[in-house]
Amino acid sequence: MMESIGMGAAAIEVLLVEDSPGDVRLTREAFKDAKVHINLHVASDGAEAMAFLGREGKHANAPRPDLILLDLNLPKKDGREVLAEIKENPALKCIPVVILTTSASEADIQGSYQHHANCYITKPVDLEGFLKVVRSIDSFWLSVVKLPSVPCS
Amino acid sequence: MKARSLLNRRVQLAFGAAILASLVVGAISYRSMVASTESNRWVRHTHEVLENLQYSLGAMQSIESSYRGFALTGEESYLESYRAGIRSEEQGEVTVRNLTIDNPKQQILIPTLEKLAAQKIQFGERVIGLRRTTGLEAAANAIRSGDDEQIMGEFQGVVRQMQDQELQLLIRRDADVKRRLGQTKTVVILGTVLGLVIAVAAGWSVQGENSRRGLAEEALRDSEEKYRLLLDGVQDYAIFMLDQQGRVASWNAGAERIKGYRADEILGQDFSRFYLQNDIDQGKPEAELQIAAASGRCQVEHWRVRKDGSRFWANVVITAVRNSSGNLLGFSEISRDISERKETEAKYRGLLEAAPDAMVVVNQDGEIVLLNLQAEKQFGYRRDELVGQKVKDIIPEGFAERLIADGTRSALEAPAQQMRAGIELYGLRKDGSDFPIEIMLSPLESSGGILVTAAIRDISVRKAAEKHLAEMVRELKRSNDELGQFAYVASHDLQEPLRMVASYTQLLAKRYKGRLDSDADEFIAYAVDGSNRMQGLIQDLLAYSRAGATVKVLHEISSENALKAALTNLRATIGESGAVVTHDVLPAVTTDDTQLAQLFQNLVGNAIKYRSAEVPQVHVSATKNGGKEWIFSVRDNGLGIDPQYFERIFIIFQRLHGRKDFEGTGIGLAICKKILERLGGRIWVESQPKMGSTFYFSLPERDGK
Repeated sequence: MMESIGMGAAAIEVLLVEDSPGDVRLTREAFKDAKVHINLHVASDGAEAMAFLGREGKHANAPRPDLILLDLNLPKKDGREVLAEIKENPALKCIPVVILTTSASEADIQGSYQHHANCYITKPVDLEGFLKVVRSIDSFWLSVVKLPSVPCS
Repeated sequence: MKARSLLNRRVQLAFGAAILASLVVGAISYRSMVASTESNRWVRHTHEVLENLQYSLGAMQSIESSYRGFALTGEESYLESYRAGIRSEEQGEVTVRNLTIDNPKQQILIPTLEKLAAQKIQFGERVIGLRRTTGLEAAANAIRSGDDEQIMGEFQGVVRQMQDQELQLLIRRDADVKRRLGQTKTVVILGTVLGLVIAVAAGWSVQGENSRRGLAEEALRDSEEKYRLLLDGVQDYAIFMLDQQGRVASWNAGAERIKGYRADEILGQDFSRFYLQNDIDQGKPEAELQIAAASGRCQVEHWRVRKDGSRFWANVVITAVRNSSGNLLGFSEISRDISERKETEAKYRGLLEAAPDAMVVVNQDGEIVLLNLQAEKQFGYRRDELVGQKVKDIIPEGFAERLIADGTRSALEAPAQQMRAGIELYGLRKDGSDFPIEIMLSPLESSGGILVTAAIRDISVRKAAEKHLAEMVRELKRSNDELGQFAYVASHDLQEPLRMVASYTQLLAKRYKGRLDSDADEFIAYAVDGSNRMQGLIQDLLAYSRAGATVKVLHEISSENALKAALTNLRATIGESGAVVTHDVLPAVTTDDTQLAQLFQNLVGNAIKYRSAEVPQVHVSATKNGGKEWIFSVRDNGLGIDPQYFERIFIIFQRLHGRKDFEGTGIGLAICKKILERLGGRIWVESQPKMGSTFYFSLPERDGK
């Protein structure tokens, strides 16, 4: 499943790897109020995320994302594997990866940072909390932080 | 024997020394006597020389006066004495020369003496010749010429010189004799004294030895007497001698007491009268003597008969008595009435039969001596099949040996002991099957050495029960673990759909509040509230299932710091309520600091939450309880708790207040209880409604390393 919102020259490409359509919709709702123009691409499992990043098959024309929001518990290919593959790939490793998951386990947090996740966020259980988190991702990663404009070496 | 030879040796030595001393004294005396005789001979010799010199001088004077007489009177008789004088003089000279042959000084003078004597005689001849040829006048003139006087003077001078020399020799020899005599005297006196001392010492030693020997002989006689008295005094044993034919030769008091005969009645009688008639008929008395004679000793236990015809069970030892060359002199018999012991044994058998366990009595060779009915049943053998068999037939090999060793050793140590507690032992039935057993050993001293009584309990039932219990415990633990896992998984997986429900009802409320009708708003509000509470419960359930699940390695930490961490987390609550939280100095404890902070947070949080109208005051302190644990207390001035709820408040999701009064799911104290269970502590409360509450919890004192 692939969706995009808002097409524009100055748009920022965000890849959301998330199997829950409810969370996808909530994320989308939250990004609606974003200060920048965001093209939100969604991959519903790890395998599709890697296909998107590798521009395979129907993703042949996929853009290179500026930010990846990655859930850990995914069908087919686990989020932990996806993180490891991204960070081991010289062409992809500079893309900031934000782990956005329901897991608050210490092992997952440790493991993610060891695999060079750029930040780890536990999904808040209430709506306000969730909206706040997505907005803060928008304001920090997409507005404050300067992201590399070309693929790293 | 040894003492005697030692004595002989000492006496020999003493006498030897005395004889040696005498010999030395004798030798010295003899040598001294020889020397003395020699000296005396020399003195006599000197006197002889002196005498002969004097004699020669006398002879010379006699010659002179003879030829002078002849010159004056011309009487021939003077010539006779003249000739006699010459012979004497010559004889004297020869004697002197011979006597002084060893004295060079004198020998030198002898030629001078001879020359002078010759001159004198020559002068005398001339005077005699002149008297005969020319008469008195010429002869007188010749004499008056002085030659005569001169020769005589010289002669006398030489004689005196020789005499002086001899006198000097005499003085020296005399002194020598005296010195030797003195020495001899000293040596003889000393030697005699020494000999006497040795003789006295030896005599004293012999005397002492003899007196000692006398004492020893007396002691021996004394001890023989005592021994006889001892034998006589023995009451419990009949001790008596038999001659070669088995006639009684001696009798002690014990024999009289046990057998009932007086010594004068029984001495000389055949000992077979002590036996039962039946035994006599079978020739037992003779047979036993033969065994004793052949093997030195015959030990038996059988019935004996007293004088009055009554019988008693006796333990009898008959020993052959032989002299040093091995000839049989007779026998000694020591017997004892052991009827009582036989009775005790009978009682023991009774006890053995009554015992609920299998009882097996084993001797030191590992042979089964006795067993009870239970043993027959347990092992499936008949009694006669087991008696005399090795115990290892029914108890695994290796353990049986231990049984003997342990049992006999314990005879000296403990009265009874369990064999190798903690190790599983198995008994072997006749049909080859085995069963678990427990063995208790106790030693039993008997006439045949130490016996070991083994009480063998079949513990199959107990083992099965233990095994069942262990299985139950394992099952319970597994189901408990499963439940914990279930609580975690359930609450975790429930959370996802719940989050959807909550999020979208909230989104619904946010977007459409006031845009639908009032019923819709109310329904949405309940849905939001319900989902929120559901989320709270699920989160608490998760927290509860996680509590204490991963106990860290325990370290010594400051409990005061843990409290401070808790108070930091409660900052907002404390600020809002204006609570005053105080604490004593809190100890260092070996525990999990995160969990301790959680405990403080829950208890102080509750203390503030369930406050009365007053400003909340919370005090935390700790006391040591008998060195084994620390007891922490959190005291408040809050609502207090009715004692009937003291148990209930620690159960998960149990609440004492409505949601309208206080928020919460009723998880806090349940979590505290769970944490303390994991840390090895306890939690309890003391309170009265409206009087405030004090929550206590204990933490075990651990080695901090």
